[in-house]
Amino acid sequence: MPSSSSIPPNAPNSDSRPPLKLQKELTKAERRELQERQRAAKLASKGGAAPSGSMAKSTPKPGAQAPATSAAPKRGRRPSESAPRAPAVAPGRAAKDAKIAVPSTLEPSPGNARSLRIFSHFGLPKTVSVAKGDIHPAILRLALQFSNFKITGANARCIATLTAFKTVIQDYATPPNNTLSRHLMTHLSPQISHLVAARPMSVTMGNAIRQLKLEISGSDIDLPEQDSRSSVVEKVLLGAHSEGRTFSVIVVDSRPMLEGKRLLSVLAEAGIQCTYMLLPSLGAVITEVSMVLVGAHSIHSNGAVYSRAGTALVAMLAKQHSIPVVVCCETYKFSEGVQLDSFTKNELAPLGDQFASFPLTKPRESLTLNNGPHLEILNPLYDLTPPTSITAVVTEVGVIPPNSISSIPLALGRLL
Amino acid sequence: MAPDSYNPVNHRAVEVLVSKLRRRQVIGSREAALETVRVLRQVVSKARFSNIDQLVNLIRSVGKRLVEAQPKGNTVRKILHHIREEYNTAINGVASTSSKPVFSISNFVLQGQPRKQSVALKSEGSMTLKENDPDDPDSFARGLKPVLMEAIQDVLDELETVYDTVSKNAKDHIHSDEIILTIGYSKTVEAFLKAAAHSRNYTVIVAETGPSYSGHEMARALSSAGISTFLVPDSSIYAIMSRVNKVILGAHAILANGGMFAITGSLLAATAARVHSTPVAVCAGQFKLTPLWNLYHEFGALDFADPSSVLGFEEGNLVDKVDVMNPYYDYVGPELVDVFITNDGDHPPSSVYRLIKETYDDDDHEL
Repeated sequence: MPSSSSIPPNAPNSDSRPPLKLQKELTKAERRELQERQRAAKLASKGGAAPSGSMAKSTPKPGAQAPATSAAPKRGRRPSESAPRAPAVAPGRAAKDAKIAVPSTLEPSPGNARSLRIFSHFGLPKTVSVAKGDIHPAILRLALQFSNFKITGANARCIATLTAFKTVIQDYATPPNNTLSRHLMTHLSPQISHLVAARPMSVTMGNAIRQLKLEISGSDIDLPEQDSRSSVVEKVLLGAHSEGRTFSVIVVDSRPMLEGKRLLSVLAEAGIQCTYMLLPSLGAVITEVSMVLVGAHSIHSNGAVYSRAGTALVAMLAKQHSIPVVVCCETYKFSEGVQLDSFTKNELAPLGDQFASFPLTKPRESLTLNNGPHLEILNPLYDLTPPTSITAVVTEVGVIPPNSISSIPLALGRLL
Repeated sequence: MAPDSYNPVNHRAVEVLVSKLRRRQVIGSREAALETVRVLRQVVSKARFSNIDQLVNLIRSVGKRLVEAQPKGNTVRKILHHIREEYNTAINGVASTSSKPVFSISNFVLQGQPRKQSVALKSEGSMTLKENDPDDPDSFARGLKPVLMEAIQDVLDELETVYDTVSKNAKDHIHSDEIILTIGYSKTVEAFLKAAAHSRNYTVIVAETGPSYSGHEMARALSSAGISTFLVPDSSIYAIMSRVNKVILGAHAILANGGMFAITGSLLAATAARVHSTPVAVCAGQFKLTPLWNLYHEFGALDFADPSSVLGFEEGNLVDKVDVMNPYYDYVGPELVDVFITNDGDHPPSSVYRLIKETYDDDDHEL
């Protein structure tokens, strides 16, 4: 075994690195300084090594325009890009020391824990930065709620956003010597950026805001009215039950969010026969299921469904047993563009209160697992279900197969 | 219908083990196997028998009790097999070698125990064993017992070194910079990964599997050994599968058709791996092989556990209206596994039946 390529993975951290700044944001100057320092350290230890210092990876920023997907990171080479759109960009975990992964040619700098760089572009959820400029208090409150995951779900977030913007616009008065449309746009932009900095924008919000801007520039301000709806699947089941259909529901739940419990209580109250289980137990009952019903965060134009983590597993298993998988999704969740895998766009759940999602039967001591030198806890919130696992998509305009998704926005006359 | 030499002392030891198994106080299948072997050793050393059939019946009755507590009497079968082997060599003096082996499928099926000719001669020369000697009923037992104890000791040694033998070839299976996915906590997999970490630098992603969340212990064990570890909830298995190079699972039992019982969540991981064409390796000791193959038809074989870890009693108003399921095991079919890494070497699922033929006797399939 050639010893040059065997890296001791657990040597202690070398002293010249600064403590990992995960939660705080580094300004551009600090980042550059960090890069320079690491580059110098690497040069010193190797004498003319290949250029790969610490890469500042900015989190993907789906703005009001078409979502700019960050390039899928390849191991070892990462362009040091910094395209700040929002004023505060947190490089997230990439500020951790990077280790060169080029195998066996270079002597890697000793003593840094290998971070898994394929996850580094997710970034951790950031604390809301100091507001730059005057941000409307409704937006401030909304941003805080987003970053603490008090409002979750694509629909809920979109509705909350639009309601907040309604308040903003109502309070807005055109300053003199300015046209309404143009100034309103510039007034809204920092508010939108603030929201994006709190939590990456969902496709629903992006679509809604784009629609809003379109309306504004067309000078006729008329916000679409949204009646507050709860989750679509819940509505579907309750509706079917009230029509007198008899069926039983198996609610499959999973960490990190354990949102199934809310659905379970609603259905149980309505008197529907329910069974509750966690995701890994699915294999035991899948043969007795007649249909799988899932919600979606958004649908891409190739029919791939971007939804809560775990959906892809359920759909895959159901498809293998020839069970129809139906996605309930409104048309305003359709997103242009195609996403290839779950890494291009994703979020991590905050590590905050872990105990809430664990059963009481587990002793607390065994659950205090924090990030150690070689251990990291990741909770991706979303995943991508490929169109092959999906049988049909139910929208407010009908039931359509997944590969026809791309033609729907056009058919509805929208220029999304 | 236990033979009259059923010693009350043995009875007690067996009962203790049975109750421990039933209450799941024995953690880990290797522990269960070790305990079984120890109890059987006690039984054999104290047993009084005049011919081989009595001994076999005695052990079978003990085995039946154990199987009722935990439906996997593999170790009992293995010991019976060894006992029969020793007995045969002792009786026949020199081990009878068959004629030149003819390699054809029909021979494999007909032969039954193809390994008989390679039995090491433990008994010197020819022992004269008189069965059913009316004058001295214990002579048979006395003559045979030392040989049997050695055989049982062999089984014990094999069990105790199973982790080391399984991890012998670990570094051939894992390469540098690989990302390995595993589920839950299996000591065999842990030993395997730690052995490879000595000479390879790679990353492990552990899926905590609910509701036991045993993945947490695995992550802790691996990271304290210096392996970069990531802990993810099971909902993201499909999401990260596109980046994973290999999936390594532990097994609870390997069935004769090449399928296996493993901790819940293994079916999800294996299916997702199949969809992404990622190889799936299973690390297990040979003592997990079982000749039963149709266990997966029995729903109860999934070993349902305490539902309060899924939906606790703190959700009081829900507890009445809702059914909760908490199976402990998953059945993973043979088409989802690529290789079984055992202490006896690596085997594809299609040749598991051969291993079973070599390790166990046909008559013991039904204990």
